[in-house]
Amino acid sequence: MSKTITEQNLRLLVDALLKEGGRVVAPKLAETMTLYEPLATGQELDLTKLPRRSSKETFFPLCETILTFERDEAGVRVGDVDPASFPETVLLGARPCDAAAPSILDAVFSWDYNDEFYLERRRKTTIIGLACTTADDACFCTAVGLSPADTRGSDLFLTPLEGGGYACQAVTDKGKELMEKQAQFFSDAGSEKPLAPAEPAGEPLDLGKIKSWLDGNFENPLWTKIADLCVGCGACAFLCPACHCFDISDEGTEAKGCRRKHWDACGFGKFTNHASGHNPRDVQPQRYRNRIMHKFKYYDDKFGRTLCTGCGRCIRWCPVGIDIAAILQQVEAKVEVE
Amino acid sequence: MNNMAQKIEATTPIDTSSYASATEAIRAEAARLLTEGSVTAVIGYRSGKRAGTAMPAIVTSPEKAAELIFSPSCVNNLALYLTKAKKDIRKTGKVAIVAKGCDIKALAGLMGESQLKREEVVILAVACAGVKGSGAATGEPLTTANIARKCRECTVHTPQGADSVAGSLSTLPELAPLEAEELARLEALTPAERWSFWKKHFSRCVRCLACRQVCPFCYCEQCMCDRNRPQAVETTPRPAGNMAWHIVRAMHLSGRCASCAECERACPMDIPLNLLNRKMAQELKELYGHEAGLKPKEKGPLAEYREDDDQSFIK
Amino acid sequence: MCDHSKNIYKPHLATIEQIIDETHDIRTFRLVFQDEAVRESFSFRSGQFAEYSAFGAGEATFCIASSPTRQGQIECCFRAVGRVTEALRRLEVGDTIGVRGPYGNSFPIEQFYGKNLVFVAGGIALPPLRTLIWNCLDQREKFNDITIVYGARTEADLVYKHELKEWQERSDVNLVKTVDPGGDGPEWDGKVGFVPSILEAAAPASDNTIALVCGPPIMIKFTLPVLEKLGFTDEQIYTTLENRMKCGLGKCGRCNVGNVYVCKDGPVFTAGQVKAMPQEF
Repeated sequence: MSKTITEQNLRLLVDALLKEGGRVVAPKLAETMTLYEPLATGQELDLTKLPRRSSKETFFPLCETILTFERDEAGVRVGDVDPASFPETVLLGARPCDAAAPSILDAVFSWDYNDEFYLERRRKTTIIGLACTTADDACFCTAVGLSPADTRGSDLFLTPLEGGGYACQAVTDKGKELMEKQAQFFSDAGSEKPLAPAEPAGEPLDLGKIKSWLDGNFENPLWTKIADLCVGCGACAFLCPACHCFDISDEGTEAKGCRRKHWDACGFGKFTNHASGHNPRDVQPQRYRNRIMHKFKYYDDKFGRTLCTGCGRCIRWCPVGIDIAAILQQVEAKVEVE
Repeated sequence: MNNMAQKIEATTPIDTSSYASATEAIRAEAARLLTEGSVTAVIGYRSGKRAGTAMPAIVTSPEKAAELIFSPSCVNNLALYLTKAKKDIRKTGKVAIVAKGCDIKALAGLMGESQLKREEVVILAVACAGVKGSGAATGEPLTTANIARKCRECTVHTPQGADSVAGSLSTLPELAPLEAEELARLEALTPAERWSFWKKHFSRCVRCLACRQVCPFCYCEQCMCDRNRPQAVETTPRPAGNMAWHIVRAMHLSGRCASCAECERACPMDIPLNLLNRKMAQELKELYGHEAGLKPKEKGPLAEYREDDDQSFIK
Repeated sequence: MCDHSKNIYKPHLATIEQIIDETHDIRTFRLVFQDEAVRESFSFRSGQFAEYSAFGAGEATFCIASSPTRQGQIECCFRAVGRVTEALRRLEVGDTIGVRGPYGNSFPIEQFYGKNLVFVAGGIALPPLRTLIWNCLDQREKFNDITIVYGARTEADLVYKHELKEWQERSDVNLVKTVDPGGDGPEWDGKVGFVPSILEAAAPASDNTIALVCGPPIMIKFTLPVLEKLGFTDEQIYTTLENRMKCGLGKCGRCNVGNVYVCKDGPVFTAGQVKAMPQEF
């Protein structure tokens, strides 16, 4: 099913969804940067830039309460968080690199144990993806098997048209349902041409080849070489659409407080530090190796997917200029040589 | 951070023609030092994979010295790589480091804190007209619009006290001191308004700790914010912990921070951290006459007691 | 309110029924679930672990140290070394703690039927084996010879002292206890020496035998070659790994050793499996 929607109607669609009591999360200019944030009106929608943080927080918030506790003479009472309270959400304007990420993360959050905090938000969210017509020199979705017009993960998919407005394609039943329910905002597809998709610089990488090198090279001098600059911050992981590591912390007092689940990063020294002081990943190259291995080998070993969508955020924001796409190229080139 | 101020002056290119000769001088000096064996490594900059970008480089052989560059993208304060936090490099022996004037202040500070001895390092200073601020496109040349805010008020374009100085600058443009202006604007606000300014900024903090990890002075083996027995600062990215973390950071750096603004540059959430650093520096100047400079000082004012210290704040 | 099973992070509540001080800093809790239904339904296998909450401080990971053959209660044993374990140590009999689990894989006890078992443990690492030891002793007829080699720095550092006495007195268990040279007092009736050398001297036959090894990394490092010398293959040797964990459910991403998640694929591994892992634990 394919329709078109004007820019104005897209904003009106947001207003209509909000009026129905739903939540619309979309790129919005927040002072100096664009972020995926809940919109108050359709006017706030700003689809010009890739948001600074990925849209994973729609499903996996930066920090959320997973239970509360209270202690008195009678003992401890634990309060639950009801996922039924999570609002129906439309994630609008997710770029292909962001839209594809949740479908990758579903595997880990449902691996034998269902994390309903994540999964219930997933069920309640409709993703309206947006094709990219521009890319910058850090974008590398094409290198990891996605593309600026990739509909994977989207329920509806928007492609900007030459004369303004968007072609809108229903990718899933969920998307089709939304389009039918809000039919008044959509028109039949005309002859308007879509804008050409962006052309990210990244040449396709042979992820299979890269993985086969990773399979055999846990120990390799390359790890020290590529990670000797890494300063061990979490900027890459926190901006990444696919990094999903988290910490669990109790806050409050022993008498009353809550337990929170919040983003964590394998680049932090204390991530794997035992209470005894022993740290299996004692130095930064070991931590950086884990980052690459997790994305391009371990996750693949477990779930058959690569934990990277090529959004380029880690490249743009690494304070010391570490470029994961360049590292992957380097690894691929090693396979050629060896 | 300060959009309205960006357009004060017309955008004009800044002359960085001397960076080419600085590059040549750095390469020659690095090659010489490595060939002689007087240093085991040179910490400098090289080009990133993306055109027009630069990143830190640790060069250990004379042949590789030709990879070193200096450009308006050489933003990093490389002093970071000489600290305890990144101690591996110094284990090898004496090293050379490429340093802009602002970076030398950090080196001097580290020497003052006995983290580094002057004779352990060869300082290859660079005459620097300025580097690009975050948000500048990778390919574009340095202009009065995209220059880093700290560079607008730089007083050490051509640093002294180094072992060599690469490049020489011609005339530099007069630039409006945007950061000082912003600081003055904040000073003029009521405490409640200032509180809400910082509250709003800190609310965006994701606790990636990039500000801490890039700071040459955050070299503590264990940051008190990582301690949990007892826990001084909540670790979750929520208002209470964020506010506590940024106050602790600012306090621990006051009298030490040389305003290289790496924390602000590294912050993926655009929190104007250098305003806090500057404010603390201002206070210390007023209270103790202390200023971060190019010469190693024995101790920062907050690590030292004098009988004539101002005590008027004790009420 | 959602039903309990939906929130995988929500612990069961348990009352501390008994506290036993094993050593000056190692403590055992005997725990009884507060909810009757949980008391009846909670089942686990030897080798599995749980996440124990000290509310307000957080959760810590320990094995379930009691035997599944003894229903109605579970036991855990911990050393107070961190924020959570110190908070747990402040709790008293009658206090409430949280328990999530059981998680992870377990010892394939059915495969051990009819075999000789050699348990080798050092220091605080006896609890992960103690669950299996009692499990086997409670169905003694299913196993052949049972040997336990257990050592600690000093006599005072041995855990489960009362049980060691019981094992020592049983004719169907061969207990070899040892303390490091210098850790022996005048009353000491065990061996003196490090666990690997005592094991070597005891020289249990490897034929039709399973070795179960648990201890500090250094002990394991020196024990494996001894077992090899005694003729044990990698598949005859089992051990358990521990790593820092938060969720225990394969999601939070910190306990992996290579592509092996200790919380889901472990904590029980054969020596062969451990050797195949990247040596990063």
